[in-house]
Amino acid sequence: MRLWPRRKVRPSPDVILPPEGVPLTLRVAGVGVRLTAQITDVLITLTGMACILILLALLNLTRPQTLFAVAALIFFLIRIPYYVVTELVWNGQTLGKRLMKIKVVSHDGRSLGTHAIVLRNLMKEAEIFLPGTLLLTLDSAAPIASLAAFGWVVMAFLIPLFNPHRQRLGDLLAGTHVIHLPQPVLLKDLARDAPEPREQGRKLTFLSHQLDHYGAFELQTLEGLLRADDRQLSPAAYANHRKTLATIIEKIRRKIGYGDPVPPEDHAAFLKAFYTAQRAHLEQRQLFGDRRADKHHAEADPRA
Amino acid sequence: MDQTHHLRSARFRAEREADWQLLEQLVSLAERRGLHRMEFAQARDLAASYRRATTSLAIAREISLDRALLEYLEALTARAYLSVYAPQERLGGLVSRFFLTSAPQAMRRSWVFIVIGFVCMGLGALTGYLLYLENAAWYFVFLPPELAGGRTPEATTGFLRSVIYDRDPDSSGLGAFATYLFSHNTRIAIFVFGLGVFLCAPAILLTFYNGLGLGAIMALHVDRGLGWDMGGWLSIHGVTELSAICIACGGGVQLGAALLFPGVRTRRDALQHAGRDAVKLALVAALMLVVAALLEGFLRQQVQDINTRYAIGWGIGALWLLWFVFAGRVRK
Repeated sequence: MRLWPRRKVRPSPDVILPPEGVPLTLRVAGVGVRLTAQITDVLITLTGMACILILLALLNLTRPQTLFAVAALIFFLIRIPYYVVTELVWNGQTLGKRLMKIKVVSHDGRSLGTHAIVLRNLMKEAEIFLPGTLLLTLDSAAPIASLAAFGWVVMAFLIPLFNPHRQRLGDLLAGTHVIHLPQPVLLKDLARDAPEPREQGRKLTFLSHQLDHYGAFELQTLEGLLRADDRQLSPAAYANHRKTLATIIEKIRRKIGYGDPVPPEDHAAFLKAFYTAQRAHLEQRQLFGDRRADKHHAEADPRA
Repeated sequence: MDQTHHLRSARFRAEREADWQLLEQLVSLAERRGLHRMEFAQARDLAASYRRATTSLAIAREISLDRALLEYLEALTARAYLSVYAPQERLGGLVSRFFLTSAPQAMRRSWVFIVIGFVCMGLGALTGYLLYLENAAWYFVFLPPELAGGRTPEATTGFLRSVIYDRDPDSSGLGAFATYLFSHNTRIAIFVFGLGVFLCAPAILLTFYNGLGLGAIMALHVDRGLGWDMGGWLSIHGVTELSAICIACGGGVQLGAALLFPGVRTRRDALQHAGRDAVKLALVAALMLVVAALLEGFLRQQVQDINTRYAIGWGIGALWLLWFVFAGRVRK
């Protein structure tokens, strides 16, 4: 009996459903990364503004009294097209976003439209830049306006913190959010290049009941451990790694009831052989509709 | 028989690996050079290969427990998805489409809201005018002193005339343009648009308040027999600038109305839907404010003849109207 109702299961914010109907995992970018990208972009546009301002000053087109207004105007005129054009040309990435390897995507999995890009970047003006400018230019004589602008900016910063997709106001209106760009790296198949598993000349074999103990989680943990072996390790770390392998083999042997002890030189080969056999077994079970998430699969199965 | 060949997932991977690597190359090519600069065969292969990879991913999730393979396929498919569904719009086409069709169409679609904007401003001006005639002290309530610039009921008629026909070198040129652009009216326009989201009321009130000031300053000049001159001074940029505020108000009211009366949609969907037109209204208003600042900075004090002032101001107003009414009509 359940004492309190089950919490509503929310779909993971990282999943996007493209028109092909196969859900893809695109990790939502955090506030920190986005802020860094934003600061980079502001620095780039500010540099552009400074260059033009110096040029204007050299050409004697500005007067000291109006310098601030002209600077604000140039910053404004550079900033607005900068965001829209870069995100259009580089498919949702400004220079700062390219640097941080993040990207704007459409929330509904469809193509990122022009309207969405223009809207989210114009809202950025209304959210941050204009109240920010107001905050900088207003003096203490008008505390109410300053406070209002300050409150507005704080609210604009808080909205993404309470949103599972880290959307700011402009993202909400435009139906977009920002993701980490995934990096495809194809590692080699551990089961494929497994060395001939031998133990004192005999082939290592595992029986079906010996492979019934573990699930996918343990298998993939073992996979991570075996892949770590491929990297270059310092002597101390290598010794440590060997020790871990020995412990794990002892645990596996006890759990599955594998009688023969494994000599140290065969440790890696034993684990690889065990990985291959275990994976074959679990994949076989999965094909028959018996998905085993982890070693508790027997208890978790309600039919058992 | 080798253990490998028992593993269905390993066979599955070996058969498709070459295709995935091809897709990886195509994706990086598309990301570097852009879809529109790829050859036809490459673009076709990218799309086909992407769809095969999504199928592979769906199958792999069912039959494979190889985490490296799953993660690779996931990342590769996501990357390919992002480049296949990239925005396919050229910048030039975008700008011309905005000016030729989408902006005037949006203006025509939301004419009710724009009329509301103009009515708010007009009613404000009328109220301000009548209240000033009743009691001149209202003037100080409606117009903050920094905006009035000394043009108060105490000022002499000569001073009022000098403001209208003054050739001050400081109030023209680039600096003046920038100053005017970030002046009072632009701020009002931004607030009027942005605050519309809060259920319309702030947008309507602010526009009305802006109208009050306008009415009061007109009443002051009419009172001194300078009404026609003041009209010319205001017209040259005011027709464009005040219309921009009214249009911004229309956009804000449209957003607020979407929240108040979402209809069959959810409020969020209604807001997104209304946003499509409202943003175009805001862009039009911004464009008009820039034009107004140009007129104010470069033309207002240069053109001294009152009839020319009227002609320029209302002529440009008529051009805006022509654009809104006739551009982008689809022949049925």
